Amino acid sequence: MSKTSTQRTEELLDRYLQAVRFWLPKAQQEDISAELAEDLHSQIEEKEGELGRSLDEEEMSAILKRCGSPIVVASRYRPQTQLIGPVLFPIYEFVLKVTLLWVLIPLFVVIVGPAVILPAANRMGAFLQILSTLFTALIASTVAITIVFAVLERTASKCNMLDKWDVRSLPAVPKQSKQQPSRTHSIFELIFGVIGFAWLLLVPHYPFLLLGPAANFIVPGTLWQTYYLPMVVLSFAGILHQAVSLARPQWTWLPPTARLVVTILTLALAQSMIRAVGHGTGPDWHPFVAVAPGIADSAQAVKVAAVVNVIALISVLATCLGLSIATVKQTWDVLRHFRGPSNARNVALLRCLL
Amino acid sequence: MANSNGANSELFETLRLELRRGCLILAVLAELRTERYGYTLRKALADGGLEIDEGTLYPLLRRLETQGLLVSEWREEEKRNKRFYRLSEMGEQILQQLLEEWQRINGSLGRILQEADRI
Repeated sequence: MSKTSTQRTEELLDRYLQAVRFWLPKAQQEDISAELAEDLHSQIEEKEGELGRSLDEEEMSAILKRCGSPIVVASRYRPQTQLIGPVLFPIYEFVLKVTLLWVLIPLFVVIVGPAVILPAANRMGAFLQILSTLFTALIASTVAITIVFAVLERTASKCNMLDKWDVRSLPAVPKQSKQQPSRTHSIFELIFGVIGFAWLLLVPHYPFLLLGPAANFIVPGTLWQTYYLPMVVLSFAGILHQAVSLARPQWTWLPPTARLVVTILTLALAQSMIRAVGHGTGPDWHPFVAVAPGIADSAQAVKVAAVVNVIALISVLATCLGLSIATVKQTWDVLRHFRGPSNARNVALLRCLL
Repeated sequence: MANSNGANSELFETLRLELRRGCLILAVLAELRTERYGYTLRKALADGGLEIDEGTLYPLLRRLETQGLLVSEWREEEKRNKRFYRLSEMGEQILQQLLEEWQRINGSLGRILQEADRI
């Protein structure tokens, strides 16, 4: 048996109310839908009075469509809820950015990644493992930070945390947002750079400059010959950027950027050097210095050479660690330079909260 | 150009809704000095020049009732159950204060606009 027009329009209304009810809080479902149904019935009655007949499906659909989609209508009865409100959100965003972009990712790229991947037999496997660990760390950190801020959002206003602030504890305004480096500092950097470069150029001709009195019985090893030229190039690059920075002080982006590039290249060189040292073993292991040919008391010279090689290796390892830390710090400097002091507000808010 | 017009009308709509929000509360409270149910309240507001859809009115009525400004009861009228609202005692006091504030703002705005016209 086919349904009458009234039955079909009633069915549409019931379907609409049922859909709205689904999205409402359970305790208020009946009450709200009854009130909405009453309003819609009044509208239908009025429209039918105007037309002098029952509404057809199209007209009924038009009334319900104008009322709004069930989920939107239901959402208006719920209090506006936010996981993290507009006051805490900038701080949340700032903490998230610092943790993920400026701590976790650089830590994995510069320290954890090379430490795991370089000595691994299966480097691709190690790389994928690091990538997966990094991904897990990023997700875990995001979840943890979000939970902390969601809790803070619900407790901060109760504890009046946001009212506890003092204008005197706010950070001082920087005198100049993109401060040019001191000229004296640049001149000294250049002078020492040139002295270092000259020293490096003279070392092959005067080994005494590198080895001191030991130059009488030990000589620079094979590694020295391999890495000498890249070291000269890096040293020259350092002088070049210092000279340009001095000549063009308005290029404020140059010193932090060039410093970062030189540090990354030096780090790569040092890591390559460590790998090269690892390849040689046994009595032939004299990567940094070797006993000079034709030395009579060779046993004593071999001992000295062995000690110097170990000390040199430890120095290169320490340099690697130092350069890794410097890379993180200099990356931060570069980001800060290009972004400007826009985060000062967030830092200030953070300080007020802590 | 078309995009700019679209953005302008969207911005206008947002600002209009912001401006309307407070006024609607005042109008609803004022209309409910007399007891009404939702549909007749909507009609009364529309007759006064303030159209309000059911999706905005009923949540607003609930909020005002939760805040203690309105009281309501379900009653049968014309063979249908209807929820009737009226202003509570506290609602009357708050409405009085809000109307005074409204007069003050309206007066200030009038003076500001007059001054701006003179310049």
